[in-house]
Amino acid sequence: MSFFVDKEWFYYLRGREVLLYKLRGGSSTSRISQSGVFQSYDNEMMYPDEDIADGLRIEYTRVSEPFVAEALETTTSYESGIIISFEDGTGGSSRDIIDLGSASNDGDYTVVTKGTDGSTGYQQLEVAAGSLTTEAVGERISITQIPVEVASPLSTSHINLNKMLNLAVIDYCKAMLAEQNGEIDKKEYFMKEFFSKLGDNESNKRNISVTFPSGPFAIR
Amino acid sequence: MTVLEVMERLNIKEETLVISWIKDAIHLIQSNTKEKVESTKRDLIKSVNSTDNVYILPADLVSLENISIKDTSDSKYKKIKRMTSQPHYLAEDTSP
Repeated sequence: MSFFVDKEWFYYLRGREVLLYKLRGGSSTSRISQSGVFQSYDNEMMYPDEDIADGLRIEYTRVSEPFVAEALETTTSYESGIIISFEDGTGGSSRDIIDLGSASNDGDYTVVTKGTDGSTGYQQLEVAAGSLTTEAVGERISITQIPVEVASPLSTSHINLNKMLNLAVIDYCKAMLAEQNGEIDKKEYFMKEFFSKLGDNESNKRNISVTFPSGPFAIR
Repeated sequence: MTVLEVMERLNIKEETLVISWIKDAIHLIQSNTKEKVESTKRDLIKSVNSTDNVYILPADLVSLENISIKDTSDSKYKKIKRMTSQPHYLAEDTSP
C-alpha cells in the first residue's frame, strides 16, 4: 500500500520520459527503533516497488478539439436537479434516453435528438444506444452543453476558444501573414498584440481588488 | 468565430493555410497559458529492473502541468516533486 506519496515519490524528466523514484528510507520502512525514536529519512532512492492501478496521473495541456461545430459563446445550456434519470433502450428501441436526470453516468455524450415524452411530458435527450447505465431519479445531476468537435475543419467550423482568444488568434494569423510578406516589423507588432490578448484573457479571470491606505496628509 | 471570418479579416482565401495557422496559434496559447488542461492515467508497475521506472509522456503534450501518484491509503492523487537531477546513488531494491 502506498502512503505519503507526496513526500516519498519523485520524478525526473528525461526528454520525453518520466522516471519515477521512491524514497527508500521513508515511512514505508521507517519504524520506531529500539531506542524509541523514529528513524530519520535518508537520501537513498529506489524504483517503484508496487503495482498501482491507474497509479500515475499526468496533467498537461495539448491541442485538443481545436475546431467545433458551433461558437463557444452559444453553448450555454445548463440543467441541474434531482429529477434527472437515465434509461437505456427505452422509448425508441435503438436509442438511449435521458429524462433530464441522471446519476452514475458521468461523461461526455453526443445528443442525437431532443424530444418530449408523450405520456409524461418529460424532456428527453437521446444519445447513442448502449451509452448509458439505467439510473433512477434522486441524485443531484447537472447536464452542461459543450460544443461538438469537428475533426475535419471547414470554413464554417468555429474555433474552440472564447472571443478574446479568437481575437488573439487573428493577431497571430496577421503576424504570420506579415512574415510571409517579409514585413518583420508588422509581424513583431502583431505578435505583441497576440501575447497582450493572452495576458488580458488570463487577467480577466483574476480580478484583484487592491486597497491603498491613505497617507497622513491626504485630503479627506 | 468561424474560419471564414478569420479569412475575411485577413483578406486571404487559402483555407488550409489559415486552419494550420489557427492550430499553431492554439498550440502557442496552450504552451503559454492553461486554457484547456487534461489528464491521463497509467498503471504503475512494480519495477524489477532499471527500465521499469520509465514512463513515456503523452505524445500530444504541449505543457506539463503536474504529475501525481495515487495514494492507495486514501485513494487520492497527490502531486509529487520533480528532481532536478537523477539520483547519484540508487539502490535497486525491488523488495524493500
